Amino acid sequence: MTTQVENKDAENRIKTPLYEAASGAAIVGGIFSVIVLGLLIVNYLQIKLLDPLRTERLENWKIKLLEQPNNEQLLSQIRELDLQIRKDRIHRLDFSKKGAFLLLGAVAVFLIGVKSAKVLKKRLPHPAAPTDIQMRQIRQAVRARWVMTTTLALLAAAALFLAVKGRLDFTETGPSYATDEEIAKNWPSFRGPQGSGISSYANIPVKWDGNSGEAIVWKTNIPLPGHNSPVVWNDRVFISGANKGKCQVYCYDAVSGKLLWQADVVNQSSSGREIDMEDDTGYAAPTVATDGKRVFAIFPTGDVGCFDFEGKKLWSRDLGVPESMYGYASSLAVYQNLLFIQYDQAAAEDNKSRMIALDTFSGTTVWETKRPVPNSWTSPIVAKIEDRSQLITCGDPWVIAYDPLNGAELWRADCLGTDVAPSPIYAGGFVFGIHPYTKLVAIKPIGRGDVTETHIAWKAEDNIPDICSPVSDGEFVFILETTGYLTCYKVDDGTKLWEKDLKTNFTSSPSLVGDSLYLLSEKGVMFIIKIGAEALEPAQCALGENCYASPAFAGGRIYIRTDKNLYCIGNKD
Amino acid sequence: MQTETINRRKFLKKGLWGTCLAGLAATAALFTKKKHKTNTVWQLDPYKCVACGNCATYCVLEESAVKCVHAHAICGYCDLCTGFFEPQPRELDTGAENQLCPTGAIKRSFIEDPYYEYTIDESLCNGCGKCVKGCSAFGNGSLFLQVRHDRCLNCNECSIAAACPSQAYKRVPVDKPYLLKKMEHA
Amino acid sequence: MIRFVHILITIVVLLIFSSLVFGLERFPPPDFEETDYKIPDTNHITDVVPQQNIFEYIDVAVLAAGLLLSSYLVIKKRSRRLVFMLMIFSLLYFGFWRKGCICPIGAIQNVVLSFFDNSYAVPVTVVLFFILPLVSTLFFGRIFCAAVCPLGGIQDLVLLHPVSVPQWLESALRLLAYIYLAAAVLFAATGSAFIICRYDPFVSLFRLSGHFSILILGACFLLTGMFIGRPYCRFICPYGVILRQFSRLSKWKVTITPDDCIKCRLCEDACPFGAITIPTVDWPQDSYSKSKKLLGLLILLLPILVLLGGWAGSALGPSWARMHANVRLAERIYLENQGKVEGTTDASSAFRATGKPTEELYDEASAIRKNFYFGGWLFGGFIGLVAGLKLIMPSIRKRRTDFQADRAGCLACGRCFQFCPREHVRLKNL
Repeated sequence: MTTQVENKDAENRIKTPLYEAASGAAIVGGIFSVIVLGLLIVNYLQIKLLDPLRTERLENWKIKLLEQPNNEQLLSQIRELDLQIRKDRIHRLDFSKKGAFLLLGAVAVFLIGVKSAKVLKKRLPHPAAPTDIQMRQIRQAVRARWVMTTTLALLAAAALFLAVKGRLDFTETGPSYATDEEIAKNWPSFRGPQGSGISSYANIPVKWDGNSGEAIVWKTNIPLPGHNSPVVWNDRVFISGANKGKCQVYCYDAVSGKLLWQADVVNQSSSGREIDMEDDTGYAAPTVATDGKRVFAIFPTGDVGCFDFEGKKLWSRDLGVPESMYGYASSLAVYQNLLFIQYDQAAAEDNKSRMIALDTFSGTTVWETKRPVPNSWTSPIVAKIEDRSQLITCGDPWVIAYDPLNGAELWRADCLGTDVAPSPIYAGGFVFGIHPYTKLVAIKPIGRGDVTETHIAWKAEDNIPDICSPVSDGEFVFILETTGYLTCYKVDDGTKLWEKDLKTNFTSSPSLVGDSLYLLSEKGVMFIIKIGAEALEPAQCALGENCYASPAFAGGRIYIRTDKNLYCIGNKD
Repeated sequence: MQTETINRRKFLKKGLWGTCLAGLAATAALFTKKKHKTNTVWQLDPYKCVACGNCATYCVLEESAVKCVHAHAICGYCDLCTGFFEPQPRELDTGAENQLCPTGAIKRSFIEDPYYEYTIDESLCNGCGKCVKGCSAFGNGSLFLQVRHDRCLNCNECSIAAACPSQAYKRVPVDKPYLLKKMEHA
Repeated sequence: MIRFVHILITIVVLLIFSSLVFGLERFPPPDFEETDYKIPDTNHITDVVPQQNIFEYIDVAVLAAGLLLSSYLVIKKRSRRLVFMLMIFSLLYFGFWRKGCICPIGAIQNVVLSFFDNSYAVPVTVVLFFILPLVSTLFFGRIFCAAVCPLGGIQDLVLLHPVSVPQWLESALRLLAYIYLAAAVLFAATGSAFIICRYDPFVSLFRLSGHFSILILGACFLLTGMFIGRPYCRFICPYGVILRQFSRLSKWKVTITPDDCIKCRLCEDACPFGAITIPTVDWPQDSYSKSKKLLGLLILLLPILVLLGGWAGSALGPSWARMHANVRLAERIYLENQGKVEGTTDASSAFRATGKPTEELYDEASAIRKNFYFGGWLFGGFIGLVAGLKLIMPSIRKRRTDFQADRAGCLACGRCFQFCPREHVRLKNL
């Protein structure tokens, strides 16, 4: 209904040469714009589609080059493709810029042409024939209202859809990490809940024989060796093994012993990185840890891996090889959504030792605190002390407690020395640390800052071990020397109550179940001793294979790792 | 009657007009008095940056206004620079197979044994942050991304800022337009 | 038993851990002994400075001058050609030269944000960009739209073959502009996003670069604009909503005729934007009483619409709160923690690496949601009010005897001047 030239006025159109020029320009401009636009779109598609493909190919070739570093042909291919990609990128960016200006120019020419043509095409205003204005106005009003109503209905529908779609309330949360009760029911890390070595189950077997098969529920072979302990959560048993070139995590079914899955822990930056380790420590000394949904493993190559319970890899990190004299052996600890890695290295003045906290979901570093200690072979524990959790570590010479959420030091005590391997425990209101061969220290963990002078309750000096960690039920604290000397001290004041020579070697740490100590010797014999103020005769259960790793305890079961196998001991009822 | 209605309507209109004008004046006064600050430009906080690569792709410009810069004072001048070289370089030279940077924007030059200087050619850098990731992970963190103000259009809403996963972008005064990393004494 | 272990690694140097958050120096600063190499300072970084403040003030001056000139050309000089030339200048200066940023349309968001967020101080130039066109509209009508706004300019430029939009459809389509304005204010007030900037179809054309989708949007608007005059200005521009109301009150009006209307009807179809209102006739008697009843009903309906709208807007709250980055993050962290979603995103792992407790994040997100709840009431109520008024308006009879430029809708382009015989008389007399 705009003022258009009617057909019969077409003859009135003044066809000046200017008009011809204008319309010519319009056509040329229009066609040119379309061409430039097409070229720009092609250019864009090349950037978005072609280039990523070529970059992917380049990446694949680079990986191949890692395996064949002397392949000259591959090398020159890579260099050529790289040059090509870089040249094309510059070229395409340049073309985009120039093309945009060209397009602008072409569109401007087109518009000028069309507008000029219109102006030159003089027209007369030609209003439409007068219609019934009354009816028109009424019709307008009615239609306007109807359209408005329809629009409102559509908007209401859209609003309803958006409002209902995916309501997310933050209130229906349970904690995203395992509760204390769940942790207590399982054996989630080295030496169990809170690293105490204590199992709260009452139905742990007291008699078995490896040779006759009595009370052996299942026995299965572990593909790669290691000195790390098994870790148990509900119906899964996790353990790791490694040799010079491979680091693996294994998951066994707790009931049948079947290998459910095994996974490699590798990182691109550390692949092919091979280190030499002593047999004594081995390539898989640190024990894995689990938080109920994921299992974490670390190896002396510096590789950390995280898998879900089905074996799918969630994340992995390469922390760089830790400089550790006897080989890295610190086990992992978990608290809420944090994974703790005690990365003690080199000498204290090299300033390389750190406590690292990784986020369990993604593996990113949440905090990292420097530690004023040289390399050590202890594992950190998380203990609940007076309503607040502390991350407690042993090193030379400091026992340090951190706030697990942010890595701030809570207290430290100067009381240890030399190569520290026994891990700390918290029992009876004290934190116990061992200075190998020298002393057992009891610290009250309620101070702040340097508590060396103020919070060390007592020290004991007899029969101090160099490897095994202590165990305590809160009344008595037991230490076990590698040569087999078991000593019992009173927790309150450190009085030595009794000592007993078990006359065999021990590398694994002692455990406490109910009222009995469970001590696993290197020969695979479990010494079960009822605890009390006096030394009692131990019951002995032989397995028949060498054992260096501490056992794991879960409902009615004991899981023991030997040189080559994993045993599940339990009463078959 | 008619004129009365018209006069009333006119009065109402005039009143409304005056109110609107007064409102505008009030808005102007209110907001100009409030914390008279200089104009602001966009910048990213290198300590929050996670080197995700969004800076290269979300800028409204085809060639992103975000580039990597090098704070030489923090640099260790290492032979094996983890921001320059791939994780396992075949050799420590400038071969294409050894370099992290996809556009070859980092130039490596020998100073004295065992130190090498690394400089960035901004005309080649695309702001992808791969060197930043490598440098912060295993090096001193002297390579980091910054918005370059000869290129940045200073959009009212920065598209990269909206897409940054660690919300590292903020408005800074135009006379202090950079947030550089500082040397930390270990 | 205790033996020394050799570690054979080439990368012995790399004994460290990833810490993107901490700027720990792992390698000490080197001593340059042999050469006299000096470590460069950071001047090469900081010497690249942004544009001086002065250019922003020049922009304000050009804006003010443009507004004054435009009002003169439309009200006094009444020359479409000169208005067109000023429009081209504004398109080139504010559009292609200054890249269309900052513009008065976007300035709404800055002013709103500054009102609600104490930590954000809006620069003077932005306030002026917001205020000046409004002031000019209060005096002269929408002369800003005619010859100063670059977005209007580019649409006006590509208008080749105007097709008119039926009047009954126009009002409903314009509701979109009210929704856009209310949404922009809501998102700006909550600090979530500047949606006017984000979805501006023309700014990417001014920059000659942008994401593919926004360029396509811009191209679509231009293609549409070839046939439907100034679609963004009429149906989408949020600033236009305010300008419409102010223009209704303007001191001086844009008139088609320089003096008296002789009702010759020659200008009836002159406006490509449908802003010419024709004289009315009396309605038949029976339709009066019917429409009076309807009018009464619609007036009663108005508060119901406002309340319903407000309620719907508030129900949209949690959904729209997702425009805010913190709410999205909180929801993602929540889903990950509950195990309802696998893996992590860059944002969630960056958040976890900060060590900030999730409760704090949930609290922040809940507070933002609450803002959206209240804002949603206002948003919905406003839209309900506007929709209700739009239902009522067709029933209100305005008595008009002349052909006039619609006070609110006239974009002051001046195309209609040459259709009026009285204008030709004036030009001959000059």
